[in-house]
Amino acid sequence: MDEILAQLTRVRGVGGALLVSADGLTMASSLRSGIDENALSAAIGETIGTAQRVTSSLSLGACTGFTATTDQGALLLLATGPAFVVLLTDTGANLALVQIESKPLVERLGARLAL
Amino acid sequence: MESELERLRKKVENFPSASLYTRLAELLRQEGDLVGAEATCQRCMREFPRSAQAYVILAGLRLDAGARAEAAQLVATAVEKEPRSYHALRMASDLASSPAAAIRHLQAILAFKPGDAPVLARLKELGAGAPAPAPAPAPAPTSTSARAPASTPTPAKPAPVQAGTSVPLDLPLAMPSPVTAAIRAATPPKGAALDALCAEAGVRGACVADAQGRTVAAKHLDGQDDLLAALGGELLRSASASLAAAGTGAANAFSLVAAGGQVLAFTRDHQLMVLVVADPGVRPAMLELRARQALIDLGAT
Repeated sequence: MDEILAQLTRVRGVGGALLVSADGLTMASSLRSGIDENALSAAIGETIGTAQRVTSSLSLGACTGFTATTDQGALLLLATGPAFVVLLTDTGANLALVQIESKPLVERLGARLAL
Repeated sequence: MESELERLRKKVENFPSASLYTRLAELLRQEGDLVGAEATCQRCMREFPRSAQAYVILAGLRLDAGARAEAAQLVATAVEKEPRSYHALRMASDLASSPAAAIRHLQAILAFKPGDAPVLARLKELGAGAPAPAPAPAPAPTSTSARAPASTPTPAKPAPVQAGTSVPLDLPLAMPSPVTAAIRAATPPKGAALDALCAEAGVRGACVADAQGRTVAAKHLDGQDDLLAALGGELLRSASASLAAAGTGAANAFSLVAAGGQVLAFTRDHQLMVLVVADPGVRPAMLELRARQALIDLGAT
């Protein structure tokens, strides 16, 4: 899984990748130095929980993806099996291209988690 | 190479918006084309009557020309249209005919931008401190789809007007001038700002929420507007905390995709947020354009 995450960070525009459980526990990580992966995973777990509350309250079904953007980059959460892949993108990254190029890798991660 | 001015002119023609008009007017003013700047402001005021920024720029032009009373009238209109416009309130403070009125405008800024250093410095110069935090405002009425933002500054007691002035800046902020009352009567209610957005294919409904997650306006949400506003605000805060943990700034937009639909959120200056519930597969780019226009129409700076 570490190898797949490392491949994800080689997608153009992706600055870091993380695999977290829905309750915010780190499963694998490929982040640049200076980012506390446990603190990030915990915050991501909170975001996933809130996102699931939104979809559940509005009867939209299971959350499959979440993107939050800032002036300095974006945060992408992609559901894969019981976990979420977190991608941190750089300023100006093409988010559509990031999602397209990372999709096969995210599916590979999902297949590993299903084994 | 295409100049910034030409680029902006083309953009205004193709995608007219209040913010583009005002950027163009500012640029024309900087270039010395005062006639062009004024014409751009007038056009913005006609096409986007709820936007206050054009009034502020036009007031600046009038002030440069020595017409202080006219500038003050324009700024008073801008403040009435957008009680949370930083630039309008700063200019209103500068043009106020009494220190009490100037202080009241500056304190109105601190209600939505607490701790603003230039405002605090100016208040100190005027011999006033920052106001005590205001108690939580009462819930807005719910009988219509459009509600007043709960954080709108409360009208203060008018200060005494100095003799010889006809400038209405000492009036309570919420009291409309005859000009503004006429503009308000001619413009649709706040819920109408979401019309274009909700007319897009696949949009189920939308609402506008303030920074505290309270509904400002809503359309087609069948009573779920308050829930969406509250949870949307919570999700934006949570996403911002995650982004902070990753070393980046606060989120200004999000898209949440689920099997049965999606929720999109767009903010402007972290004051107002448009939340859209849409069918799965709806492309967010056009919705973002419409949502940002709705925010401008509602007076986000």
